[in-house]
Amino acid sequence: MANNGMYASQIAVVKQECPETDEEDIGNEFARYEQEFLIPPEDALRSVIRKFQAATGKEVTSGAPAPARSEKKVDRFSDLDAEDRNVTIEVAVVSYSSRIQMVKGEERQVAFGWIEDNPWDPNSNRERWDFKDWGEKSEALAPGSVVRLEGASVNEWNDKRSLNINRTTRVTVLKEGGATAPQIGNEPLSISKASEVEGFVNIVARVLSSKPDVIIRKDGSGEIPVVRGRLADSSGSIGFLSWAAFEHDVGSLVKIVGASVRKFRETPEININDGTVIEPYHDSAFPDIGELSASSKATIADLRNGMRDIAITLQVESWVQRTFESEDGSPRVVRSGDVIDPSGRCRLTAWCEFDPEPGDFIRIEGGRVQFWQGSPDLVIDQVEQVVDLSDPPWKKIDPEDHWVDLDLTGLVNGGSRRGIRTSGTVVAVRSDSGIIERCPECRRVLRDSSCSEHGSQRGQEDLRLRFVIDNGVSNASLLMGREPAEAFLGMEMSGVRDRIAGDGRDGFIASLRARALAMPIIVYGRTIVDDQGAMVLADTAELEKLDSSEAATEVMNRWGVVL
Amino acid sequence: MGRGTVMVQSARRRVRQSAVRIFAQEYSESSLIEQGAGEYDPSFVVTKLGAKVNRCLVGGVIDKLERREGNSGTFYSGQIRDPTGVHYFDVASFQPELHADTEELLARFESGDRFLMTMVGRARWFESEDGGVFTSIRAEDFTVIDLERYKSWLVEASDATLRRVDAYSTSLGSELDLESLSEVGVPSDLVEGMILARGHYSEFDTEGYQVGVLRALSLASGRTESLVEVTLSPESEQPDEEKIEGASEGPVETRQVIIELLSSKGDELVEYDTLVGACTSAGVSREEAEDTIENLRDVGGEIIEPRFGFFQLLGEG
Repeated sequence: MANNGMYASQIAVVKQECPETDEEDIGNEFARYEQEFLIPPEDALRSVIRKFQAATGKEVTSGAPAPARSEKKVDRFSDLDAEDRNVTIEVAVVSYSSRIQMVKGEERQVAFGWIEDNPWDPNSNRERWDFKDWGEKSEALAPGSVVRLEGASVNEWNDKRSLNINRTTRVTVLKEGGATAPQIGNEPLSISKASEVEGFVNIVARVLSSKPDVIIRKDGSGEIPVVRGRLADSSGSIGFLSWAAFEHDVGSLVKIVGASVRKFRETPEININDGTVIEPYHDSAFPDIGELSASSKATIADLRNGMRDIAITLQVESWVQRTFESEDGSPRVVRSGDVIDPSGRCRLTAWCEFDPEPGDFIRIEGGRVQFWQGSPDLVIDQVEQVVDLSDPPWKKIDPEDHWVDLDLTGLVNGGSRRGIRTSGTVVAVRSDSGIIERCPECRRVLRDSSCSEHGSQRGQEDLRLRFVIDNGVSNASLLMGREPAEAFLGMEMSGVRDRIAGDGRDGFIASLRARALAMPIIVYGRTIVDDQGAMVLADTAELEKLDSSEAATEVMNRWGVVL
Repeated sequence: MGRGTVMVQSARRRVRQSAVRIFAQEYSESSLIEQGAGEYDPSFVVTKLGAKVNRCLVGGVIDKLERREGNSGTFYSGQIRDPTGVHYFDVASFQPELHADTEELLARFESGDRFLMTMVGRARWFESEDGGVFTSIRAEDFTVIDLERYKSWLVEASDATLRRVDAYSTSLGSELDLESLSEVGVPSDLVEGMILARGHYSEFDTEGYQVGVLRALSLASGRTESLVEVTLSPESEQPDEEKIEGASEGPVETRQVIIELLSSKGDELVEYDTLVGACTSAGVSREEAEDTIENLRDVGGEIIEPRFGFFQLLGEG
């Protein structure tokens, strides 16, 4: 009985769903969850309801016989019916605003906003619905996040459907949102700030470029006319994609109210639609287009997957062209090569007749970035996008010895890059280091002589080492393929095979640990940075030579201590 | 409400936690835990200097290692001693992949061999009902190392500790919020921990930590010779007996301090740190206090440790 007071509000909710259940039983159940399973009543609510629904032998609902409340799990809003009550779906939260509303004489916080289905599809093939949050779930429903809703219900009014998120709805955050976007009506954000949020923003910016484009529907049902371009202010620049007409000339200054920032791959982009208001803006102190274009020049280190409209200066390191057969059988030519600038190295692909010489300095306007084997790959489609520079922008870089130093923290917080040198301390030796077998079809690592794609295979032997390197603040996986591994071990692959045959894999791993754990290591290679963290693919890696006395002096100098 | 935060945190992408280089003193003096709310959320031991330790990289000489049988099978517990104190660690029964290597260490240890080790592990702790916190490490990766590599770790740990001392001092003049601390120059990886630490621990003099660091740095620069021998002070087999039999004066005093304190408490459990503290204030070195406690427990059997880190006289309670 004593429990009932403590859990009164939760019991009331359970009673609504399971009216035949005894209140004391409900209270005891909450007490049990809290004490024995350490689940507080707010979190236990749904589990308790389930339990009692099951206990009464039927899916009990309050009132008249309603449609069955068995769970309906769907991927798309279009799979939902107007009567669906116990819906499980994963959605992206687009916006969330709350207000206080009187419900049955009680002040309650009610929130509403937009959600979109199909949240994991990088293409914008999503349907948007309104939702109402009756369950005060503001913290879980941050704009920009992807959540799983369990126990939501469909609401239909005036032929328009929306989703109700109730107190009993379980909201599981699958991907955290970016910083919450300020509400419409707030002061405009700078572009650099707007790039960090996902959701609605207002900005004041100058139009750097603008051109009509079309998006072809995947289902073949036609084309959508859009306008793409770039906006800039003194803090930076950002691409935009307008689904509505965009009639502002290049160079004009505009105030954009109610645009949404979305990520295309890894690059934020301003989305303009029918609800967005764009008006001319007057500010004589705002930087002019010349200034803004100059500052919008990118370096290789800045490149991220999905970027468009890039202006960048490069030194060509190598260039090749090859012909292949396109899908329709006609021959196509693609030209590509390695390019460098002082910040690093990347690949450049040209779908046009562009044939530079190694050592040439070039300037690219309107380039775009695609991912190629995990690294940003610059792409140009028309030869007009390239200017051959007569004045060298920098003293010619020797491509043989062009490594850009990057500490682990900078590496982890940056984009995927090539041609970097970093260092850290080995804090883990992965037990799958050593000889592995690869699928002859796809090079995937075989598990028990079987490929996840191609089934049972006679594997091809390969060698790799996997470590984790760490500087105390940031860490990254380190992967050494066969060549760097052989060099690191001072041993051919056959030697490693013999060693493992003799000592067992555990013995081999133990010897690696004995050699490398807690040792500083210097790595030359490229990085892949994504949601899972950072990985360094080594061209070469070597343990650093220790001079502790010198290092100790350095530390004492750094922090101003004396022995 | 408030539960929403839980859900948000539980979805934080699970990126590997970096290994904090930390000396035993700073780690063992920590009593603040930040518990991850969701099942897979990282939890942290927050030190007085604001380090949030989920994973750490430690080093030192093996001080103790034993095999134990628990309900779920064999596990190992041990201690690694660095210039500032002792790290407690364990290898759990559900880490069979580490058992072969641990057995090898155990064999060496039991044969009387002592050696330097480095260990990467996850933060663990025991919380007593009265709020006492005892920190330890769940081993992940470890290996026997040579002196050079140990020195290199000493330097890294000194650097990291001095960085935290500096951040702590910097934070003293500042408001305790994210923005203010960042503004005065507390590194971003320490800001959160600093806010928690400053809110939990009372203000203290960082001198104690700096002394440990200086000791480590002087060892690393080679100014103090024969590190392993120094750390492995002579009380191995024989002195133990002397202590118990009261043949030598020093240890007897230490023993008396401990026994008296425990008997004054009756059946109440006394924390390890309290015991060591009582000894050191009686003029006994920390090391000797620790050894005596251990001897009284393991060899003399006069005191028992019913709960990890808490002692009473045998026969009491």
